[in-house]
Amino acid sequence: MKRFFSILTLLIALPGVVFASGGHQPELEKANNSLADKDSLQRGAVLFSNYCMACHSVKYMRYNRIARDIGWDDDTVVAKMSKGTARVVDNVETRMMPGVGQQVLGKTPPDLSLMARLRGTDYIYSFLRGFELDETTGEWDNKLLQGTSMPHVLENMQRHFKPEDYVQSTRDIANFLEYVGEPAKLQRYDLGWKVLAFLFLLIILTYLLKKEYWRDVKH
Amino acid sequence: MQTQENKPQNSLLAWIDARYPLVSTWNLHVGQYYAPKNFNFWYFFGSLALLVLVNQILTGVWLTMSFKPSAVEAFNSVEYIMRDVEWGWLIRYLHSTGASAFFIVIYLHMMRGLLYGSYKNPRELIWLIGMLLFLVLMAEAFMGYLLPWGQMSFWGAQVIISLFGAIPVIGPDLAVWIRGDFVISDATLNRFFALHVIALPLVLIILVFMHIVALHQVGSNNPDGVEIKKYKNDQGLPIDGIPFHPYYSVKDLFGTSVFLFFFAVVVFYMPEGGGYFLEKPNFEPANPLKTPDHIAPVWYFTPFYAILRAVPDKLLGVAAMGGAIAVLFAMPWLDRCKVKSIRYRGVSYKILLTMLVVSFVVLGWLGTQPATPELTKLARIFTAAYFLFFIILPFTSVSERTKPVPERVS
Repeated sequence: MKRFFSILTLLIALPGVVFASGGHQPELEKANNSLADKDSLQRGAVLFSNYCMACHSVKYMRYNRIARDIGWDDDTVVAKMSKGTARVVDNVETRMMPGVGQQVLGKTPPDLSLMARLRGTDYIYSFLRGFELDETTGEWDNKLLQGTSMPHVLENMQRHFKPEDYVQSTRDIANFLEYVGEPAKLQRYDLGWKVLAFLFLLIILTYLLKKEYWRDVKH
Repeated sequence: MQTQENKPQNSLLAWIDARYPLVSTWNLHVGQYYAPKNFNFWYFFGSLALLVLVNQILTGVWLTMSFKPSAVEAFNSVEYIMRDVEWGWLIRYLHSTGASAFFIVIYLHMMRGLLYGSYKNPRELIWLIGMLLFLVLMAEAFMGYLLPWGQMSFWGAQVIISLFGAIPVIGPDLAVWIRGDFVISDATLNRFFALHVIALPLVLIILVFMHIVALHQVGSNNPDGVEIKKYKNDQGLPIDGIPFHPYYSVKDLFGTSVFLFFFAVVVFYMPEGGGYFLEKPNFEPANPLKTPDHIAPVWYFTPFYAILRAVPDKLLGVAAMGGAIAVLFAMPWLDRCKVKSIRYRGVSYKILLTMLVVSFVVLGWLGTQPATPELTKLARIFTAAYFLFFIILPFTSVSERTKPVPERVS
């Protein structure tokens, strides 16, 4: 039986090793963000409001949920993210009027609620940092998404911030979007180890129970 | 059975028992169901499958309370469950992880059958009912996967249902009839919801009931593949048997705890299962106008999907895929060896079974990959190997060089 399993493991691992190469996407930079870093999430929320919400929404999130999860009260979240224009129970909608995106940019900017789950946090981080100035045309392009309709909204920040502050700011935005992708992630990490600890004890207990009951079974 | 013990002491129990066969049913299936004492690791998966079924039904009921089966609202309602419903995320992850866990458990359960010859005389019907269960489970999972209405939900269903279109003459009309539309649409989502939450679960429960009744009629097989009913003590009880309760109920309690531990690791720390349990493109709402670059079904269908793609002709591909499942039904008659357990069977069966398992696993991996020419070639080789098992087996199993089977369990 042991042999059977080792063969099985080998077979499952083998294709992964042989075919690990390939893929046409440019290498993604690691965001190295942390959902446990509440300050980063708070900064990310403000940056998102200031730089992204002119065009993008995170329509599945409500302001009060954000407040509860990242350590703000209800008044703070509407003050910081909507300049007091939204109610705390509102979903986080874009400030762009309907149809304007299509007119100005050629397409409606996507909702970003699930972008981190769809493409990954590293993708968002790399995308924000992936804008390059085309010397010949003098226009910005993105090495992750050639010909993107999205302008380099962080251009001024990149120009005037200290490099390490700029890195941290893009990381904060990516961090915030990872949180937005699955707000329950904070809860499930927190609850998970407790459940596992309980089940570990249950395994020991049920094992001893089984042993006790089976004492009279002769082999 | 001992009539003495069957008489209830408790007066309430006596009252019930006069009107309903409670005690005798309990004794027949649990309290005095004698199972071989030598069950090993492989024998956990039957009860675990039942556990996962219960998990799916319970979490499913609660998901239904907040889910909206309409093309406009389905995707949003799933995100509503994930964010605004109390414990919604946990209920949903228990359900989505449960779907994959169901197939892991069922594949191992079927593997047990192949290892110890549990499909052989007198257990052919148990195997057939089990295969029906597997078929219904696949339909149940397929329809459930459409409900979140993500890109992969939509396009996966589109690909699979279009397969029915390959059937000559009636095919195209049949596909339209299944979808209720010319493409996957709101009508499809709504009927799949009905089938997923009512029709198929009912069929599953009835089949599980029959599976267990059939098992208890003939008694359980065991890793030695010997019949414990052959040797009975003076009370008429099998010498090598022990009552299911309490012996196997406490043992299964231990198995359940271990299973739940691994299950919880996935639910709490990797609910996406590395992109296999919840596929990334499914975090984007279904878009009929945008085909994803690479459509792959969920991992538990990939072995059969790889067989489908390996055959150049669409109709033959569909036939091969269907045949890959159908041929399993015939196992009790394809395997003509009298010895049940792999422990006492000849080298030929061990080699063949290894070939089958290897092909199945490799095909499963191939089904997740884009069909490049090299990989398609590989898929053809392993498709051939998969079917070779069933073609060769009837011949080798007749004259297998088996080892002597012990009289009683070891």
